[in-house]
Amino acid sequence: MAYTILIVDDEPSLRSLVRGILEQAGYQVTEAADCRSAVSACRAAAPDAVLLDVMLPDGDGFSLLSRLREERDLPVLFLSARDEDKNRLRGLGLGADDYITKPFLPQELLLRLKAVLRRVYGSREEEEVVRLGASEIRWGSGTVRRADGSEVSLTAKEYALLKKLCANRGNIVTVDALCAALWEGPMVGYENTLMVHIRRLREKIEEDPSHPRYLLTVRGLGYRLAKEGAG
Amino acid sequence: MKLRSVWKAALLIVLSVCLVLALFFVGLIAFILRVSQADNAWNISMTRVSEGLGTAEEGYPFTESGYLREEGLWAILIDGESGDVVWQLDKPATVPDHYTLTDVASFTRWYLDDYPVLTRIRDDGLLVVGCPRESTWKYTVYMDAETIHLAPYWTAGMLLLSLGCVLALAALFLRRWFRTEQQRRDTARSAWINGVSHDIRTPLSMVMGYAGQLEEDETLPRLRREQAAVIRRQSQTIRDLVNDLNLTMRLDYDMQPLRKSLVSPAAILRQGAADLLNSGLGDAYSVEMVIPDCPPALEGDAFLLRRAVNNLFQNCVRHNPEGCAIQAGLRQEGKWCVLWVESCRIGSDSRAVHPAEEADGGASHGTGLKLVQQIARSHGGTARFRSGDGHFLSQLFLPLSRR
Repeated sequence: MAYTILIVDDEPSLRSLVRGILEQAGYQVTEAADCRSAVSACRAAAPDAVLLDVMLPDGDGFSLLSRLREERDLPVLFLSARDEDKNRLRGLGLGADDYITKPFLPQELLLRLKAVLRRVYGSREEEEVVRLGASEIRWGSGTVRRADGSEVSLTAKEYALLKKLCANRGNIVTVDALCAALWEGPMVGYENTLMVHIRRLREKIEEDPSHPRYLLTVRGLGYRLAKEGAG
Repeated sequence: MKLRSVWKAALLIVLSVCLVLALFFVGLIAFILRVSQADNAWNISMTRVSEGLGTAEEGYPFTESGYLREEGLWAILIDGESGDVVWQLDKPATVPDHYTLTDVASFTRWYLDDYPVLTRIRDDGLLVVGCPRESTWKYTVYMDAETIHLAPYWTAGMLLLSLGCVLALAALFLRRWFRTEQQRRDTARSAWINGVSHDIRTPLSMVMGYAGQLEEDETLPRLRREQAAVIRRQSQTIRDLVNDLNLTMRLDYDMQPLRKSLVSPAAILRQGAADLLNSGLGDAYSVEMVIPDCPPALEGDAFLLRRAVNNLFQNCVRHNPEGCAIQAGLRQEGKWCVLWVESCRIGSDSRAVHPAEEADGGASHGTGLKLVQQIARSHGGTARFRSGDGHFLSQLFLPLSRR
């Protein structure tokens, strides 16, 4: 079932752009140009998330957030041209799930929206499967199904590591970011332990762990989970 | 207050001093001239009156009666031995005809029957010229010699004191005026930049959004998608410039509070390099990290430091469109932690001056490096840039953490 997203922005062309991006990504979209119609749309369409502008003709997005939350407890992402820290902090302080500053790339918007939806409605995506060549990662069961049909379980650290790499698939994730995803506190002295986890993970997901095709080392920086078909 | 304003204030103060002094002296001279040239009775020439009066042998002929009458004056000649009035011109009836030594002593100092009088000693007596009543204020001043001797110094001292007060007041007023003016300009400028930044963001969203969609549209020919990618990348450059401009302004006017915490500069460098590579850097670029096994830590605003490092990496790419080898690293120098990023142009062609040399800002290319310098300074450090022969080295000197 596709998620329904409510876009609240007084700029029709921007609403049209965001609608196009979201619909192309498989979302259902409903629109509102001001606070009043946003409240009505929230009641009528029961959206799963709201993309909210800060400056609206009949009020501001901050007070609208509180009104929408009175109607329903749903995730809200601010989409604003105001980039001052005080606005960002005010929005997040009021309980917004994210604050995206205009201008934004379509991919950035989709990734951040997806991250919020996953966090709030995680169960809908739990069964998602990620393919790494002949292997399959099954998030629901926390296992890797290998080419020969055997299944191996991921430890909690390996699971978190793989989640982080999958969320940034194709991009380099620094050792510092991976350590931060695995451990709390200052990231000092964890690099060697991280290497051990990486090696074990390779043994589970790679056909030839000595010559990995997917979990690649980027010397001096971190690791990258290669996209399907990429080197 | 900026140097230009200080010079302006100093110039205004000097001009004020000159004006005060000029006004004082012009006023003094004008007063003296006016008093000396005034057509009043007190300024008559007693020499002329005395010379106009003959002797007893001649029967006291007087040639200056017109001169005295024109001024409304009267005159008497008191005999030096008897004290009697031996000659008179228009003497009022109330004025006595005989004088004792006491009378003479009195009217020479004060008044004669309320008439202010001038006197002149002659061989045959005392010539007295009377002015109209209440026409002249007459007072005898006594002062000891030391007071007279000190009077010029006191006068100069008081003048200087007055000048000091005037200058202090002028300085206070000017300072307040400059501050108000500065605040007004700063507010107007920040409001303008905020407004422009806000107004440019929504249209830029449209450009970036549609360009991004076209770039991903697999039904379009490759050339069109590449063109869309160029539009998307250039829009991102404009976005970065707007962001840099905003942050520069906030740092300039102390509107960006530092959120300091213990940060790992190695992690910041690695993230900067990873962001650069993740943005789709071509094969013409290479990135190498030189980070020690035990990297130093520092206290700083992680967001601002990330921004500075990202700007240094972006600078390497922006000014080496044909590609370059980028090296970045970290070292400790005394109490400083030095983050450095160096680019080496591939197929080095030094014909073009490296625009990054404009680190003091001004040109659009310099905005990124100016921001780096501002961020370094806001952390109590500095940024140094060096270029030559296809190389460009940026170094951020930041104080090490004391923790």
